[in-house]
Amino acid sequence: MKSGFWKTDWFFGLVVALAILLLGYSDQLQSLERKAYDLGVVSTARAPLDKIVVIAIDDVSIARLGPWPWSRGIHAKMAEILAGANAKVIGTTILFSEPQNDPGSQYITKLLEMAGGTLATPPSATEAAPGADSTSPSALPPGELGQFVALLREADNALNTDRRMSESFSKARNVVLPMLFTAGEPGPKQGKPLPEYVTRNAIAGGQPGQDVQLLRTSAVRIPAEPLGQAAAGLGHVNSKPDVDGVIRTEPLALLHIDRLYPSLSMMIAARSLNFGPGDIKVRPAEGVSLGKLQIPTDPSLQMYTHFYNDRDGKPAFQADSFFDVYTGKIDVAKKYRDKIVLIGLAAGVGTASATPVSTVMYPVFMVAHTISSILQEHFFVAPNWGWGVEKAVFLLIAIYLTVLLPRLGTGPAIAFTAAIVAALLIVHSILMTSQGIWVHLMVPAVLAVTGHAALVVKRLLMGGPAKAGSDASGAESSRMLGLAYQGQGQLDKAWDTFRELPLSDPLMDNLYILALDFEKKREMPKTEAVFRHMAGHDPKYRDIETRLSPAKPSSETVILGSGGGHKKANMPGEGRSAEKMMLGRYQIEKELGKGAMGVVYLGKDPKIGRVVAIKTMALAQEFEDDELAEVKERFFREAESAGRLAHQNIVTIYDAGEEHDLAYIAMELLKGGDLMPYTKPGSLLPIDKVISIAIRTADALGYAHKQGVVHRDIKPANIMYHLETDTVKVTDFGIARLTDSSKTKTGMVLGTPSYMSPEQLAGKQIDGRSDLFSLAVSLYLMLCGRLPFEGESMGRLMFKISSAPPADILAINPNLPLSVVAFLNRALEKEPDDRFQTGEEFSAALRASARAVGATQSASERAASVVDIQL
Amino acid sequence: MDLSQILEVTSATDPGMVRSHNEDSIASDPANGLVVLADGMGGYNAGEVASGMATTVITTEIAQVLTSVQPNEVGEDGNILATRIVREQILKANTSIYQAAQNQPQYSGMGTTLIVCLFYDNKVMVGHLGDSRVYRMRDSAFTQVTRDHSLLQEQIDSGLITAEQAKTAAHKNLVTKALGIDPTVEPEIHEYEALVGDIYLLCSDGLCDMVSDEDIGMTLSMLGGNLKLATQQLVQMANDNGGRDNVSVILVRVLKEYPAARGVMSKFFAWLK
Repeated sequence: MKSGFWKTDWFFGLVVALAILLLGYSDQLQSLERKAYDLGVVSTARAPLDKIVVIAIDDVSIARLGPWPWSRGIHAKMAEILAGANAKVIGTTILFSEPQNDPGSQYITKLLEMAGGTLATPPSATEAAPGADSTSPSALPPGELGQFVALLREADNALNTDRRMSESFSKARNVVLPMLFTAGEPGPKQGKPLPEYVTRNAIAGGQPGQDVQLLRTSAVRIPAEPLGQAAAGLGHVNSKPDVDGVIRTEPLALLHIDRLYPSLSMMIAARSLNFGPGDIKVRPAEGVSLGKLQIPTDPSLQMYTHFYNDRDGKPAFQADSFFDVYTGKIDVAKKYRDKIVLIGLAAGVGTASATPVSTVMYPVFMVAHTISSILQEHFFVAPNWGWGVEKAVFLLIAIYLTVLLPRLGTGPAIAFTAAIVAALLIVHSILMTSQGIWVHLMVPAVLAVTGHAALVVKRLLMGGPAKAGSDASGAESSRMLGLAYQGQGQLDKAWDTFRELPLSDPLMDNLYILALDFEKKREMPKTEAVFRHMAGHDPKYRDIETRLSPAKPSSETVILGSGGGHKKANMPGEGRSAEKMMLGRYQIEKELGKGAMGVVYLGKDPKIGRVVAIKTMALAQEFEDDELAEVKERFFREAESAGRLAHQNIVTIYDAGEEHDLAYIAMELLKGGDLMPYTKPGSLLPIDKVISIAIRTADALGYAHKQGVVHRDIKPANIMYHLETDTVKVTDFGIARLTDSSKTKTGMVLGTPSYMSPEQLAGKQIDGRSDLFSLAVSLYLMLCGRLPFEGESMGRLMFKISSAPPADILAINPNLPLSVVAFLNRALEKEPDDRFQTGEEFSAALRASARAVGATQSASERAASVVDIQL
Repeated sequence: MDLSQILEVTSATDPGMVRSHNEDSIASDPANGLVVLADGMGGYNAGEVASGMATTVITTEIAQVLTSVQPNEVGEDGNILATRIVREQILKANTSIYQAAQNQPQYSGMGTTLIVCLFYDNKVMVGHLGDSRVYRMRDSAFTQVTRDHSLLQEQIDSGLITAEQAKTAAHKNLVTKALGIDPTVEPEIHEYEALVGDIYLLCSDGLCDMVSDEDIGMTLSMLGGNLKLATQQLVQMANDNGGRDNVSVILVRVLKEYPAARGVMSKFFAWLK
């Protein structure tokens, strides 16, 4: 069965692989990778850094301390509290980007200016420089004015919160503030350059040229100046969610204009190690280093943050309520000493993002996770070689799909694919949890699964119609295969094969026999199953109706050759009611045996009560239509000439006829059998008996030859002999003629031509002398149990017959009289002219040699046979 | 290894001009390098059952065996496995057909001639029974590869008659060996070198009885470039000369060398092909 290569399994596998390769960059498959990543993150059990504490501005705090945004005085006080507790670093995620001015504060400032115009108070501005207030107390004017100015100063202090905050930040010296960039390419019109208190936070090292993949920003919101000036560092709080909205990475630095700014977490981490921005170094395309810490990132400097899973039902970072700290409920000196303290919104007013471990995470906690990842080196890495590994694995699986999978059986294929997928998942999980390495292995896994499924579907779809469309020849060869199984005795296999096939007439015949075979093995349920299957096609087929009906089969008379077409006529012996069958005017009693061309039956002529042997020949089976008429004609001619022969040693022919292409000859029923049993060494007849049989056969042949009938096939099998009555009859006159006249048909296999005369072998015209040669061969065989001409191959045999002298019979049976040996030598001459010319001559010579036997042996021993011979 | 790109196989079978049905059966499995031809005999449809069983059983079973065994390997008995494969499967088919003929009266006495050609390792193993033939066209020499198992052939071999007399002999079609007739059979199996460019012709006696060897050889040398056409032409010639018997023709041309894979790696690659 030829089919285009596009229908082959390997091509199909290739197509699937390419499709997945393209789809691999699609959102669906990448989201699968991300899910696997999240799973890896969640299942990685690591302890968060306990140096980090979070002060959450939660709903309680907002409810108690007033609506958001709070006055910066609150923040300032908190900074003071924390500074007093000796916190290592204080970080906040709250953007103080706008100056916060109480409307009253401006007036107080103006009033102060007026009051102090002559009092040499320092220039008072909203953006008070650190240490601006240091001069004030000593410069107080005396008296009421002095009291008034003091009150103004107090009001100024209370209301100018920014200044107070910057003062407290300055005092703490360790506050890190956020800034927020806007992602995008910087526009052509650049605003005013960033102030120095921002640019001093830029990271050294990251220089243009290596920044192709860096995240770029177009604008920035920075802390208000007094705050920014007072802060110990600034860091951005930007993060880049994946397309599914989940934040997995932290950009450790962002590019703004031409400088790299670290993230808030990075900055806090640096400060916690007493490093400044200058100690954060960018190694292009590798990552970021901070002192001894090496943080590998992707080319855009994003770190895969380790988000710590909840432990024992508690969140990774426990948060204290801002209000509790603010009101002194918490022993800050004990709890926050040398800690990294993070302050941020954790209430409805803030914005939360999704992370691998939580769908709602406030920025302050994200910063906590990130700092912990950085300081403990808990980040995940998507290594540079990961891409290569992914593609290599992908390629291997594509090869598996195109090459190996189509060759595997269903079971092994499923096991193999499952093993591959399991291996990928396990490797992925182990790499994630123990090495912190993330390699994209889900696309290859998807390829394995979809490729396998697609192949199965393809085979179902393509295999289906091909099976249904199996042509008649396919069904025919299946039937042959079924027959072969049946022939080998594998009945179940045969039944399985047959039942798949559409029921047809020839198949019905096969099934019927199969059912009988099952019956022979006493497998009744299977027998019945076959019959039921057959009944679906033709419930009246042969006798299956009665076989399937619960009642006992009725014994019907089957008229042989009637009503079922000739096919049935060919098998009269098979039915169990054979005794009721008719052939011509003869009633068939039973089967006697199989002859050369057909079955031999015992028949009875009901009219005259004569019992006959009926030899049938399925001529229509043996000969093609074109020859049939000719063969039939010859058959009847032969039967007629054989029928003319009336001799005591020739089987009498009574009748010949044909019924539905089954030709038959009714002949004398003989007792006994042919001479074959007496041809084997050890079961030979006595010499005189053998000679007597040969003499009588020669007489019969001589008679027939005179009538112009040549037998052509004289051999022990064609000479009937009954031991008890010592009767000899030659049978099958003329039938041999019929069989070797088939001209073009690939004929029957010829038995070994051991009895053929040389002229017969050479295909020459033959006469009676050929029969006598064959008789001599038979005689030889019956005398010693061996053939005169034997050869290991047909060619050898034929050479011996045509050219070699007969084997020395005395070497086989030394007791044979020389007269008989001499007789045989002459009877087996190559040239017909050198032999005995007629049956009479043959029998006379044999009698003479037998007499010689009698003379050499004791008369008493031989008396009986001599009488016989002289008959 | 897959030989379908190495062997060009064309075939045709035709009932001829006289016969009503076709008792020949042909099968080919180019991937396994296997071609089978059988000419059935027996009454009614039994002949086609015998030949059909022969080709089906042999192609199916050999294809099955070849999944686990390489024909060029050497068995424990020191003989090349191809011989054993061909012999065993022929015997298996023989048993199947013989038993079917014994058990099922409508198939009684059926049998078939057989040609099995198995190509492997730049060789061809030819097994045959009966008077269907294999010829070979090599360069411009057209020779008969198989020797008929027929009475006529035996007569010629033993010098009883000459080839000239054989042409007019009466019993042209009596075969001395066939598949499915006896419980056992001894097929004749020989191995030959197969060269690139060789054309092998398998045919039933419907061709070689109707068309002389010279004419067949001439046709092959003229039309050898187009095997399909040559196949049709041979069938046509048999029919033009009377078409007294079913005629079946298989032509196999060796396009490339096909040495068997021997090393582990080359076996692996062969398996991948």
